[in-house]
Amino acid sequence: MPSDKNNKIPFNEDNYTHNIERNNERKLDRRGFMKTLVGAAGVFAISSLPWGAVAAKELLGLGDKEYPHKKITDVSKLAIGDALEFKFPGDHDDALLIRLSEKKYVAYQNACTHLRCPVFWVKEEGEMVCPCHHGKFDVETGVPTAGPPRRPLPEIQVKVENGAVYAVRVKRYEA
Amino acid sequence: MRLKFIGVALLCAFFMMNIVFTQFMVHQYYYENYVNVLIFGGLNIVVFPLALFTYKKTKNEKA
Repeated sequence: MPSDKNNKIPFNEDNYTHNIERNNERKLDRRGFMKTLVGAAGVFAISSLPWGAVAAKELLGLGDKEYPHKKITDVSKLAIGDALEFKFPGDHDDALLIRLSEKKYVAYQNACTHLRCPVFWVKEEGEMVCPCHHGKFDVETGVPTAGPPRRPLPEIQVKVENGAVYAVRVKRYEA
Repeated sequence: MRLKFIGVALLCAFFMMNIVFTQFMVHQYYYENYVNVLIFGGLNIVVFPLALFTYKKTKNEKA
């Protein structure tokens, strides 16, 4: 009976990777390694470009522009000691407005300066807390008081006009 | 050290410098020291041609 099999019993071997040609197959020689390093240097160089670009943009003063004033809420709707989340200056920049007293409002961009988790206001404790790693921020200044964050939260200047609270601009970081 | 590994050693040094500069650059960005960001970004870019030059000079180095 014709068969496409060669009727030979495969020779007995316990090496089930016999079909891999191991000689030189995955060799990383000195030159290949050096090429990899040069390539990595190239990747580093390219990836620094965007950082340079945004830094140059900030240096040219484009980052410090005044955004259109944005109404956050009416004074009557926010009780003393309460907080309200809003977006400023962009639609994806979370921010937090806290009413500390009759006339005193503070607002911060509430992305934690550690790993950008949203910081929230704990009324009972009187401090802002980041839930991810228990970073705490001083409510008066935005300065970190506990946990991993080391930089203060960016403060948003607010003004009260005609019974409403407006976000005016984001303060520059000073240290 | 054998001469043929000078290139590898130099490139490893450049790689380390890349890592350090990048780390510095990102941190300085968030501290809003933008001049420092430009300096370290520039250094990062300068390292690449240096690495390429080193590779070309040393790839045929014999023991």
